[in-house]
Amino acid sequence: MSDILEVRGLTKRFGGLAAVSEVDFSVRQGGITGLIGPNGAGKTTIFNLITGVYKVTSGTVTFEGKDITDTEPYLVADIGITRTFQNIRLFKNLTVFDNVLTACHASAGYNLADSFFRLPRFRREEKALREKTLELLTILGLEDRKDAIANGLPYGLQRRLEITRALALDPRLLLLDEPAAGMNPDETEQLMRLIGDIRNRFKLSVLVIEHHMDLVMRLCEHIVVLNFGQKLADGLPDAIRGDKRVIEAYLGGGDE
Amino acid sequence: MAQFLQQMVNGLSIGSVYALMAVGYSLVYSVMNFSNFAHGGVIMFGAYFGFYAITMLKLPFPAAFALAFIGTAVLAVIIERIAYKPLRERKAPFLYFIISAMGASIFLENIIIATIGPTFRTYPDVFGRTSIALGPVAIGRLDLIMFAVSAVCLTGLVLFVEKTKMGRAIQASAYNMKAAALMGVNTDRVVMIVFALGGMLAGIAGVFFGMKYTVYPQIGNITTKSFVAAVFGGLGSLPGAVLGSVLLGIIETLVAGYLSSQFRDLIAFVILIGVLIFRPTGIMGKTTEDKA
Amino acid sequence: MSSYLEGIIMLSGINLIAVLGLSLLTGFAGLFSFGHAGFMAIGAYAAAFCTTTLHLPFLVGIAVGAAMAAGSSWLIGRATLKLKGDYFCIATLGFGEAIRLILDNFQALGGARGWPGIPPATTIWNILILDVIGVILLANIVRSRHGRNMIAVREEELAAQVAGINTFKYKMMALIISAAYAGVAGGLLAHYMTFIQPKMFSMTKSTELTIIVIFGGLGSISGSVLGAFVLTFLPELLRAVDKWRLVVYGLAVIGIMIGRPRGLMGGFELTPSSMRKYVADIKSARSAKAAQKAEDATLGKDGL
Repeated sequence: MSDILEVRGLTKRFGGLAAVSEVDFSVRQGGITGLIGPNGAGKTTIFNLITGVYKVTSGTVTFEGKDITDTEPYLVADIGITRTFQNIRLFKNLTVFDNVLTACHASAGYNLADSFFRLPRFRREEKALREKTLELLTILGLEDRKDAIANGLPYGLQRRLEITRALALDPRLLLLDEPAAGMNPDETEQLMRLIGDIRNRFKLSVLVIEHHMDLVMRLCEHIVVLNFGQKLADGLPDAIRGDKRVIEAYLGGGDE
Repeated sequence: MAQFLQQMVNGLSIGSVYALMAVGYSLVYSVMNFSNFAHGGVIMFGAYFGFYAITMLKLPFPAAFALAFIGTAVLAVIIERIAYKPLRERKAPFLYFIISAMGASIFLENIIIATIGPTFRTYPDVFGRTSIALGPVAIGRLDLIMFAVSAVCLTGLVLFVEKTKMGRAIQASAYNMKAAALMGVNTDRVVMIVFALGGMLAGIAGVFFGMKYTVYPQIGNITTKSFVAAVFGGLGSLPGAVLGSVLLGIIETLVAGYLSSQFRDLIAFVILIGVLIFRPTGIMGKTTEDKA
Repeated sequence: MSSYLEGIIMLSGINLIAVLGLSLLTGFAGLFSFGHAGFMAIGAYAAAFCTTTLHLPFLVGIAVGAAMAAGSSWLIGRATLKLKGDYFCIATLGFGEAIRLILDNFQALGGARGWPGIPPATTIWNILILDVIGVILLANIVRSRHGRNMIAVREEELAAQVAGINTFKYKMMALIISAAYAGVAGGLLAHYMTFIQPKMFSMTKSTELTIIVIFGGLGSISGSVLGAFVLTFLPELLRAVDKWRLVVYGLAVIGIMIGRPRGLMGGFELTPSSMRKYVADIKSARSAKAAQKAEDATLGKDGL
């Protein structure tokens, strides 16, 4: 099994502060990898570096064998990586349907002239986009809420919508930033099954940042632990569970 | 050579007025991350406050001056409470703030036109029209006082921001509002003080502008130049705002003196284009990255 | 129809075209332009030059005006759209002023005294036809992936980027289209008034256009249409209290941002499908109410 994503020597400095320092890890193709660590360990920063939101101070990001370090964020999606955000960044005032429909844009190729004059290419491709949107919503269980405004959805469904939107771009690697934040045990359970399901159904690889240890241990096949911007440990869930340094990092000053 | 020095002095003089306007704007920008486009209206009110304090209330200059800048400080805070605070609380998008600022600016300009009227008013000669000769150059008394007051204000501002507790709270908030709040800073009060300071500077700028030129409701339009000066010096940097303003004033005056006075007002725009193309962060600006 | 009334309708129609463009830029793409009248000025002067000096046909003049306005917007866009929003605002502010200043001093184009003698080629019909075309074109953009991408940029720029949307490209697209619309409006205005003067395109004009977009509602095309006509007629009706009109507008703008950013139309678009939905909603609400009443009545009878 090859690695779909490889991160080597990843470092990010803000002024004098190193948010992330010499981090190496890989995400296996088709696998679900967990990225954990106390608050402030640099997990979201890593996501931002992978997706080009931050420029690296040094280090490389390799995807499917190609160097994608410092690619513009909008091109990263094209390359095959999409993500969700810790503090949910949905298109709040748009409907559920429109949130996903918008993200489907890359599946169409019609240009402005086609739009202006409602040419056949426009009609054909728009229809396909709408069908794709409906299909995704149905798979993710959101089709009965498709006309609801995103802002008005319950929290758990908002997160699910964000995941749906990320799937609309046909990614091969999905980055999930704390998808279970604020969820109760039932919802977390559902989410866990959902992530496993979409990984199988869409043949994705997943990298997930999480604090819910239960979710991480049961869902992830491989776990990377960060602390103070550096990699602390890297391995199978059982190994990580018993790793003294990891336990210390969490009990001695982190949260949870 | 003497002419050149004279032009430099003149440039410095207008530059210091721009500096007062620009610093007030930059201060608010650096803390709130937002361009207060109603700043011009406040400056204009400062000019009117000072004018009426002298002509109608017959106050001596220092008292009139104080009345003017206290009045504008209060006005700025009122505008903040009415036009921006509700939006801040709703976490409204950036666009809404700009539109609200535009609304405030329209209101300010037109309330003057509707009540007092659009005619130009002139400040009475408070300092006399005599100039003082410093070697080959002549500096008007008004200009000297303007330099002095500007220098005092700006130094005072720097001291306040660097040395006092509130000043440090402002710096912390400028860096990161949320973090500052988490550390116990009363961010609401910080915002109020920042706007009050900005308003104060606007009032001072307004009075001097009115004294140097005339008083009319569209004074606010001059602020465009101070925005450009702030960009030139580096948006968000207070020393940058001063530097940009002084340079703008000098360049403008030199161009008007040596090339053509017609192009004087266009210089600001040319500088703006140059800055945006070659160095958007300005002379002293810093780049920041958005946090996800 | 009296020529007075016709005149106001024509002015509304001309304003509408500029407003439609500005609506795309501000209402849909979320970019605030302070100096949009500058694009109108470029359109006006370029069109006038084509018809009076080059003796080209009216429509060619209009097209050239639109192209030149669009071209100048491209320059502004290149310089500022990759930077924070404030830079764009300041640049448009400067641009509006600069255009007026340049025109004031450009004696060959009439300078501050203006340029008279432009052929009166604008008629109420070509205005209305261009209005209709303008609205349809705008609606077609908005309801396409291009429009949706602009809206996404407005809503959540970062999320839009990671969703693969080239935010710079779409902001630029909105800017260029809006400038083109303004250019057309400028050309039409020139050939209606038969006389143009830089101060017709001052900050006041830019502000007037922005106010219409805001009152009509950000993101509402029908709002812009309604707004353009209502707010062009209003000053005529309120002549007596004219100087207070802008005072009220200023406060109203603040109030709208705080209370009802969706403006007049409240985010509701007047389209055939939305009207059908509205009627359907009322019908279903009525039948639900009736069903509830019937249920209550039966419950009552059973003494539960």
